[in-house]
Amino acid sequence: MRTVLKVVDNSGAKKVMCIQALKGKKGARLGDTIVASVKEAHPNGKVKKGKVVYGVVVRAAMQRGRCDGSEVKFDDNAVVLVDKQGQPIGTRVFGPVPHELRKKKHVKILTLAGHIA
Amino acid sequence: MRIEKCWFCSSTIYPGHGIQFVRNDAKIFRFCRSKCHKNFKMKRNPRKVKWTKAYRRLHGKDMTQDSTFEFERRRNRPERYDRNVTENTLKAIKTIDKVRSRREAKHIERRKKGKEAQQTREAVKELEQSISLVKAPAVLRVDPSLTLPKIMVKVSQGQESQQRMEE
Repeated sequence: MRTVLKVVDNSGAKKVMCIQALKGKKGARLGDTIVASVKEAHPNGKVKKGKVVYGVVVRAAMQRGRCDGSEVKFDDNAVVLVDKQGQPIGTRVFGPVPHELRKKKHVKILTLAGHIA
Repeated sequence: MRIEKCWFCSSTIYPGHGIQFVRNDAKIFRFCRSKCHKNFKMKRNPRKVKWTKAYRRLHGKDMTQDSTFEFERRRNRPERYDRNVTENTLKAIKTIDKVRSRREAKHIERRKKGKEAQQTREAVKELEQSISLVKAPAVLRVDPSLTLPKIMVKVSQGQESQQRMEE
């Protein structure tokens, strides 16, 4: 809620603000989907300011436990915009993404990503 | 499963321990415990922090080059499972570890020992050369009993003879 996340694809938005975390009472974490409102956008992009979009959290500064017991944390909070079905709106993804997305079935984002952490 | 090294202190990180930090340029920093993680967040350079392996290697306190380090290189090709190979590797790990720790202990022993002999040699030389700071050379020539013996090189002896002179 009200967390401003960086958008790391080329869908046109630059910053979105989370308005709802789908699944989870305590909020969305790394790999979860959120509903967000676009706060800042590139002038000519697919997504305009004020639009309500879905996004997948690909980087979170809060550490997330992995199944081998270790924990991962990233440098910032970043999101990739997706549609209702979970397919990314943009065609490129910047920066590292965690391989937690594979379990959540966001394979398309993983293929677009440059690095998989 | 892979056993990693802590980025800060170079100790081994076993599964289930530590935190991985992924920077936005996709560089991964692994820390064995929060002590190393906090030092990293403070932007400390491990090469300047005395208790890290990086410092010790840099300042020659620990062994740097040895053939036993070659065995621990990171290999990215997965090996096909072979029971004999696995058994032999486990045995080899034990012996290599023993050899390496023996060599490291030797290195540290050598480092500590070398200084003493050198220091005594330097002290003897200094005493022979700079005895004039303590006693005038004329006095030494007149009364040979006042000359200090050339063997034991405790500085306290010089102070003793100085007191005698004052008397």
